Amino acid sequence: MKQHSLKANHRRDAIIGWAFITPQMAGFVFFVLLPLVSVFLYSVQEKNLLFGTSVFNGLENFRLLFADPLFSKSLVNTLIFSAGVVPLNLIFSLLLALYLGGGKMGTRFVRGIIFLPVVTSGVAWAIVWKYLLQGGDAGPINWFLSLIGIEGPNWLFEKGWAMASVIVNRVMKNLGMNVLIFMGAVLNMPGDVIEAARIDGAKRFTLFFKIKLPLLMPTVMMVAIVTIIGSMRVFDTIKLMTDGGPEGSTMVMVYYIYHQAFRMFDTGFASALAVVLFLIVLVLTALQWFSRKRISFYES
Amino acid sequence: MKTNQTKGVVRLLTFLLVLFLAMGMAFAAGAKEEAAPSGPVSMTIATWTSNPDQIALLDSFVQGFAAQKGIEIDATFESIPFAEYNTKLSLELQGQNGPDLFWVLETAAPAFIESGLLANLNDGMKAYDPQDISSDALELWSKDGNVYAIPFSTSPFFILYNEDLFAKAGVKTPEQYAAEGAWDWEAFKLASKTIKEKTGVWGFQTVDGQGYDARILHNLAPIVRSYGGDFWTDDGQVLINSDASVAAVQLFHDMVYQDVSVVPPGNQSDFFAGNAAMTVGQISRVSKLNDASFAWGIAPMPSGPEGKSPVIGQAAIGAHSKGKQAALASELVAYMTNKDSVAAMSGIWPPARKSVLESEAFLTSNKSVSKEQMQNAVAASIKTGRVLPSHVKYPQIEVESKMVFDKLWQKNADVGAILDEVAAVYAKYIK
Repeated sequence: MKQHSLKANHRRDAIIGWAFITPQMAGFVFFVLLPLVSVFLYSVQEKNLLFGTSVFNGLENFRLLFADPLFSKSLVNTLIFSAGVVPLNLIFSLLLALYLGGGKMGTRFVRGIIFLPVVTSGVAWAIVWKYLLQGGDAGPINWFLSLIGIEGPNWLFEKGWAMASVIVNRVMKNLGMNVLIFMGAVLNMPGDVIEAARIDGAKRFTLFFKIKLPLLMPTVMMVAIVTIIGSMRVFDTIKLMTDGGPEGSTMVMVYYIYHQAFRMFDTGFASALAVVLFLIVLVLTALQWFSRKRISFYES
Repeated sequence: MKTNQTKGVVRLLTFLLVLFLAMGMAFAAGAKEEAAPSGPVSMTIATWTSNPDQIALLDSFVQGFAAQKGIEIDATFESIPFAEYNTKLSLELQGQNGPDLFWVLETAAPAFIESGLLANLNDGMKAYDPQDISSDALELWSKDGNVYAIPFSTSPFFILYNEDLFAKAGVKTPEQYAAEGAWDWEAFKLASKTIKEKTGVWGFQTVDGQGYDARILHNLAPIVRSYGGDFWTDDGQVLINSDASVAAVQLFHDMVYQDVSVVPPGNQSDFFAGNAAMTVGQISRVSKLNDASFAWGIAPMPSGPEGKSPVIGQAAIGAHSKGKQAALASELVAYMTNKDSVAAMSGIWPPARKSVLESEAFLTSNKSVSKEQMQNAVAASIKTGRVLPSHVKYPQIEVESKMVFDKLWQKNADVGAILDEVAAVYAKYIK
């Protein structure tokens, strides 16, 4: 009798449990798993979005992809973008979090200012920045530079400057979120450990590199992974500010996928690109994940 | 225990996957068997205009058609920005809720016809005197004797100019130049340069400010063709790197980087706000000047060494062949392009119907434009104008060549070498 009741309880708990996770799992299946599976299926087809045709063509898309100079260009552009965004974002957000975590004067105001871009609409942000970054003397930034005798470039229409502009823009837009995460970690650092180091005579740099940074390392690792993945998947900043130009110099991989799928209508080829990007992000994330124990003392 | 949990998750995922597929199949089957609607018929019409007056005019045709058929139509107009038009439209057309009727750009006409997304309009047109539509105008929209879209606009490009800025700079207006027979690209270049030097205001803004990206062809075609060049031809010749084309593009490049009189890439100065003395427009753009704070005028495009070579921007309307109301939509397309409808919109979109085009009423159809201006800048150009080049692979050509064209927009660009690269891109697709 008792065993029967236990079984009934287990079953009831299980049903309630499934009921709780079903909506989430349904969303995951419909909006993540199925599209993901579809991308893998499309990647082995010659599929045209405009004509609505699809024919199985094996690994032909992948063969074409590795022979495509724009693929290698977009891959290099993605790496340049990530190499610019990730260190800048991590360094500035960590420094700001340490400053703001110190409870110095005006921290609330600074915190608000830094977080403001995160809650600003990406489209509005891009429109304003396109205005600010106009070439010649029409753009406010170039006008300001001209006051100190510098002739500013046509930021979004010159190779090199365009990539630099979108990197800085992206860092400024997303910095606030990482500052917030780091601040949580900074405020949770054990005060007694830092105090003990101070008593032992640790100076500011020693305190940071030997005590604070190791304490913050699990958070740094997590933020680094998320920021790298985010930078590899950048789309909105590119779409709204440079359209991949000039000369494809800001054509990152996700934008190239969009170009192939929705401008050139080659959905099969675009899916092959998406599969490659998926694998790259997967490998990078795995590398970071498995190297975390070497970098962070506190990872178990 | 862990194994049981894993099994449970796998079962749940499998169940949801099967459920989704079953729902998909049921939905697809249901869509095919949809019963005839009893209430108002819902129809979606995709356009690239968002002008409320123009939308209201189009809606009046829909309601006129509904009254003629004795049905109610609830029309929704979907305005897609020009730069995104082909992308978003093709995505919608392949989905379940694509528009029933949609505008088609001339450059994308062959690709859309080839895709099978456009319904055959031969039967729908029969009631509305199809012989009245110029066969030249229908050529682009037909294949194997079947018509797949009907041009509602055969609109030449012309120069819109700010009369106040010309007066301030002491330069003759384009209309005055044209009256003297001296309105050529050299005069245009000089006027632009003089205005910039004397007033500080840009001399010229490219069409809709998009001449360096979404409207490269619109921007360069009038110059290139009047110099005797072209982009590519119907018989597969690539001419963008011919001497004539290079000379024409060099002229525009010099205006941007030597004279510094053209609104450069990225600069947001706008003719309609009074920040440029000239731009290229069509008659549908004139309504944007209704509240202009300056006096303005229109003149034909300048001529080149090979004389006048007007460029026509053509747009057609078609019915979605896979839409739920394909037959009704085909009839509506024919109604919207019948003689009465095109006469009503001729002041905005010049018609392809000969009877309307040749009528006196056409010359006075736009209240903001004088009869003489309509005759000189619009009617005369329609007779001799040519549409932009098109190709079944145009979407690919546009995207790939844009990356090469980007190289032009630098001060020290080697125009000839860059156009050779553009020609190589064209040659890849055009055979």
